[in-house]
Amino acid sequence: MKKSGAEILLETLHDAGVDAIFGYPGANTLPIHDGLRSGPIRHFLMRHEQAAAHAADGYARATGKVGVCLATSGPGATNLVTGIATAYMDSTPIIALTGQVTTNLLGSDAFQETDIIGITLPITKHSFLVRDVRDMRATIQEAFKLTTCSRPGPVLVDLPRNILAEACATDEERTYQAAPKINNGPGNRNDQLNNIARALNQSERPVIIIGGGVKLSNACREITDLIEKGHIPFVTTMMGVGSVHAANGYNLGFIGTHGFELSNRIVHQADFILAIGTRFSDRSTSIVEEFAPLATIAQIDIDPTSVGKNIKADLPLIGDIRKTLEKLIPLIEAPDRSGWLARIRKERETTDERNCNKGCGAPGRFISMVQEAMPAETTAVTDVGLNQIWTVRSWQPSIPRSLLTSGGMGTMGFSVPAAIGAKVGVPDRDVVAFSGDGGFFMNIQELATISYYQIPIKIVVFNNSHLGMIRQIQDLFYGNRLSSCELGNHADIVAIAKGFGLNADRVAVETPEEGISKMASSTGPYLLEVTVDPENYVYPIIPPGRSNLEMIFGRSD
Amino acid sequence: MVMAEEEHIISMLVNNKPGVLSRVSGVFGRLGYNIKSLCVAETMDSEVSRITLSSVANSHFTEKVTKQLRKLVDVIDVTELKPATSVEREMTLIGLRLHKEKRAEIMRAIDMFGCNVRYMSDTYCILECVGETEKTETIINYLKPLGIEEIARTGIIALPQKN
Repeated sequence: MKKSGAEILLETLHDAGVDAIFGYPGANTLPIHDGLRSGPIRHFLMRHEQAAAHAADGYARATGKVGVCLATSGPGATNLVTGIATAYMDSTPIIALTGQVTTNLLGSDAFQETDIIGITLPITKHSFLVRDVRDMRATIQEAFKLTTCSRPGPVLVDLPRNILAEACATDEERTYQAAPKINNGPGNRNDQLNNIARALNQSERPVIIIGGGVKLSNACREITDLIEKGHIPFVTTMMGVGSVHAANGYNLGFIGTHGFELSNRIVHQADFILAIGTRFSDRSTSIVEEFAPLATIAQIDIDPTSVGKNIKADLPLIGDIRKTLEKLIPLIEAPDRSGWLARIRKERETTDERNCNKGCGAPGRFISMVQEAMPAETTAVTDVGLNQIWTVRSWQPSIPRSLLTSGGMGTMGFSVPAAIGAKVGVPDRDVVAFSGDGGFFMNIQELATISYYQIPIKIVVFNNSHLGMIRQIQDLFYGNRLSSCELGNHADIVAIAKGFGLNADRVAVETPEEGISKMASSTGPYLLEVTVDPENYVYPIIPPGRSNLEMIFGRSD
Repeated sequence: MVMAEEEHIISMLVNNKPGVLSRVSGVFGRLGYNIKSLCVAETMDSEVSRITLSSVANSHFTEKVTKQLRKLVDVIDVTELKPATSVEREMTLIGLRLHKEKRAEIMRAIDMFGCNVRYMSDTYCILECVGETEKTETIINYLKPLGIEEIARTGIIALPQKN
């Protein structure tokens, strides 16, 4: 029996465990949509392809499985670009399927033709153009392997329409021969592991830095074991938040530009840093030369390009984090660290005093109240701007993959579509998207998707009628010369949400009790607009070009 | 701090498929390194090509570039070749105007450098010379004032010495 390329594609996706695709049709993907009518895979028709990519990303972040988005050739494919780049920067496994013009028209500037492989070269792990229907199954299987292996990331598969329509018998299908890699060894891991264990055991003031890679490697239990066995305080990057229960006593918070005072101070005093699954991005380190100046730095990562990229690693180890930690934990002793821990406790007392509501003011208190009102394992999805920092600082994740944020790319408009993906992926867990009035409007069309499928997510829109973080930066570092940051209050967000068919309400951030309890007890999709004073910034903040120790706490600092 | 720059030769084996060269060259461009010379051709296995590439760059070059290149799916192997432990050659074609008064000197040079004459008319010739970069550049510099009109260089190809 012969099957069309589209049928083989859908069959292979189903075999790989795909239960949902986020997409938008066009002429060149119609053979796929034809096949989706009868198949077991659900297709969610988004209202913009960028949202389809973010939804696939949110699905992958929430579930740990591969997210799949689908767009047609030309503008459909180019609209995916921001979403693919967002997934690339945060190492999310997604597969982007794009329609393409028929193979005989490739390179002819045909209608809706674009070289999407060329466009996405720097933001994908790899990409395939399927030129022969006999390669369809093997190519899709290889794409799944590549998107999840080593450091995960997006893989794009470009699918010409005639290949999707062409028929192929099972015995005609070809296998994929991956070229064997040579000369790619990681060095002697046992020696490296022993050196890291020895240095960690001998250190007096150790700190672990947890990056996003710990979650990706499913090593959250192992990292918790390591911390507790060795009595080692830890900080996280923004992507690492939630890897260990937020209430763990060794948790000092996240570091960097918008990080906590305590974590930034303690890293500066450490004599040993064990960095796991982080590339030391500029957001985490600020000025590299002044980051952790007293520390010997050990770095564990599966991606060789991340090791020593931004900070020289004294003790590097390239390998899978979970497997490495499993071997490292037995080598760790539990020396007396009471002096170091007492010093940290003292610092915590003074910094807590200076940073009430975690430096977020009323919105920080509001977010904590939302978390208390919602079930314990609710997933929070942030947008980008002040809302992101307020949420990452205030939300206390108790399980991994329950705080989703665009850390590397900082993509405004991420929260709502990613929340759709997160809810579709884990339907029995509540989802709250926190957005600002800037990012919310960037994918506002997805309210229609939410309404159509009745996806029961809750959306909080902090409305300060400004691009709040831009305003804060202009206020503090540009002599309060505000420019292009005022959005105004001419659009009625509650009326818009109601127009899309959502239940919606508005509260002031200072008096939110009733609004929060109404939202928490609602069953369908719900939007809560929260009015916020535009001068409610987030502190501390590190001025551009300064080190992590040079945090400021207000205008006068 | 200005870091000393020197020439690096990278040799790699890649899948012989469309688009592979742009993936490889993209790595250099994104890291801000200029490719000085590039040579690509099939190996004994027609599905595998060898790319030999040279860049003038600082000491971070090799580590940064090889790590990124090894992550590419279509790259099979990457090594840096050191001049002391490898054989390096490049071929150059030199198009030369034959001015009457300089003819004798040109013929002496061809003889002295061991170039092959691959084309000759009354007024123009094309020379072929093969050697290490240093020799190539010596020949070009010598012939320049005698009337070089254009040159084509293959760029370096190289193989490591083995026992």
